[in-house]
Amino acid sequence: MNIVEIFDFTSFNIDREPHIILNQDICKGCDVRGCTNCCPANCYSWSEAEQKMTFVYDGCLECGTCYVVCQRNAFTRWRYPRGGFGVAYRMT
Amino acid sequence: MNRNFQAIVVGAGPAGSASALSMARAGLDVALVERGTFPGEKNMFGGMLHRLPGLEEIFPDFWDRAPLERHIVKKGVSFLTGDSSFNTVIEPGSFDRTPYNGYTIFRPRFDNWLAQEAVNAGATLITSATVDELVYKSGRPDGVTIVGRQGELHAPVIVAADGVLSFLAKKAGLRQPVFDPGQIAVGVKALLDMPRELIDERFGLARDQGFANEFVGCTEGVRGGGFLYTNYDSLSIGLVFHLGSLRTSGKTPYDLLNEFLKQPQVAKLVRGGRILEYSAHLIPEGGYDMMPELTGDGILVTGDAAALCNATGLNLEGINLAVESGLLAGKAVAEVCRKGDFSKRSLEVYKELMNESHVMKDLKQYRKAPHMLHNDRIYSAYPELVCQIMEQIYRIEGTSKKNLTKLFIQSAKEKIGLGNLAADAFSAWRSL
Ligand SMILES: Cc1cc2nc3c(=O)[nH]c(=O)nc-3n(C[C@H](O)[C@H](O)[C@H](O)COP(=O)(O)OP(=O)(O)OC[C@H]3O[C@@H](n4cnc5c(N)ncnc54)[C@H](O)[C@@H]3O)c2cc1C
Ligand code: SF4
Ligand code: SF4
Repeated sequence: MNIVEIFDFTSFNIDREPHIILNQDICKGCDVRGCTNCCPANCYSWSEAEQKMTFVYDGCLECGTCYVVCQRNAFTRWRYPRGGFGVAYRMT
Repeated sequence: MNRNFQAIVVGAGPAGSASALSMARAGLDVALVERGTFPGEKNMFGGMLHRLPGLEEIFPDFWDRAPLERHIVKKGVSFLTGDSSFNTVIEPGSFDRTPYNGYTIFRPRFDNWLAQEAVNAGATLITSATVDELVYKSGRPDGVTIVGRQGELHAPVIVAADGVLSFLAKKAGLRQPVFDPGQIAVGVKALLDMPRELIDERFGLARDQGFANEFVGCTEGVRGGGFLYTNYDSLSIGLVFHLGSLRTSGKTPYDLLNEFLKQPQVAKLVRGGRILEYSAHLIPEGGYDMMPELTGDGILVTGDAAALCNATGLNLEGINLAVESGLLAGKAVAEVCRKGDFSKRSLEVYKELMNESHVMKDLKQYRKAPHMLHNDRIYSAYPELVCQIMEQIYRIEGTSKKNLTKLFIQSAKEKIGLGNLAADAFSAWRSL
């Protein structure tokens, strides 16, 4: 299973409005970045060269892992997508 | 949409639907609010559905009525190393006779079915509605706002059945504002397509029989384990990791899952399986010590929202505890509605019902299990020890065999240390 192909096997109804918003400044000063390895959907990637966190919520499985592992509360917003949006499991 | 109800249940998972079902049967006008486009759309688990005595009482034909997959007749545990495995399997004859001990299910089907049963009993199901805020009146919760479908719903009592993160319990000040990653695990699962006959043959099953297997030693030292369950024509296979340990490991869940699927013995089990769906979800594994306050003014907390999971390492009970707590919350709400008093004091009747139930008794009994599972040796040293000893017992090299006791002591010394072995045995005994 290649995680970059997540959209091939799991369905999403992507909202225009992000349900998770990060405060980049907090991530810059973070020395753990547990979100980057713990997120099961690979939504977080840190670029050492640019000193920048990229977060893409499209393939978010709404599991809550980042919410729990981030100990700096870098989230300006962390809520579930609006009703009817987000991941849509069919038979798991 | 704006409407008044006698009670609002937030979340149509097993806890919420059971709760709405029991209230509707008591004649209450209850709203069951779910953020998915249908109940179960957002939910995943291992998994095995255990017996549900509370629901069986309401539906004596429960096991014919509910959408189930195979009934579990075989339970196994595998100790894995990079290239070896040691397996134990138990197949009691009684597991193949009704009432069956457990079934595999698909959450999008099962949860939807249970919610529809609540609707049939008179509950109002509102889907595509994410509950956002609690609405207060004279300092007490009096309703909720919803987004997706927009509006406010009002009721003097609210049941939080919104799952492990329970933002509702947080907003009502009932749960810890920040979670301890040491008390929460994440599970990832791949659903693999496989023809029914192949599953029957590969796992030694007939008719509707199913197999459930747990794995230790498959997480590259990260605290956690693996699981494999047979559905009719698919396999559920995945890993569970303690978040505190995963975070410091630097490893990713999907790489570990791929490695697990490639382990030589596991690869033979899943050969030919095509991935149908990938999913992830959290498990509240902290047990009794992680539980939030169960009641507040105008609010009750049930299921995963109340951390009602029993994780002993070999078995994970969650749905059965969620359903039972939901039914009891429904009973408590019906009682306070008769009295018209929705204060925390009046709602304590829920706590009393819970304390008498197997839910709290079991959680208290296994209170120490989470501590035992924080022992890193379980996740690699012990599986290696087991495999090494078994290998040596069977290996024939033309030299004289070592005495079994000596062999055990020597291997245990090497892998674990005798002091640790004694301490681990003691802590395992104390926690179970
Ligand atoms: C990997 C894994 C394996 C597991 N294996 C097993 C097993 O083998 N056996 C077992 O019994 N248990 C197992 N469990 C545990 C079990 O899944 C849970 O204990 C159970 O689902 C809890 O039910 P619940 O109704 O409390 O919560 P959930 O099932 O999480 O339901 C919560 C519901 O609330 C909805 N919701 C959440 N927030 C909102 C909101 N703001 N507004 C509207 N709706 C909302 C969600 O969409 C969801 O439908 C496993 C869990 C995991 C993650
Ligand atoms: S989200 Fe949290 S854990 Fe991740 S980099 Fe930002 S501050 Fe660190
Ligand atoms: S909720 Fe889960 S899937 Fe979504 S970004 Fe956070 S860790 Fe990743």
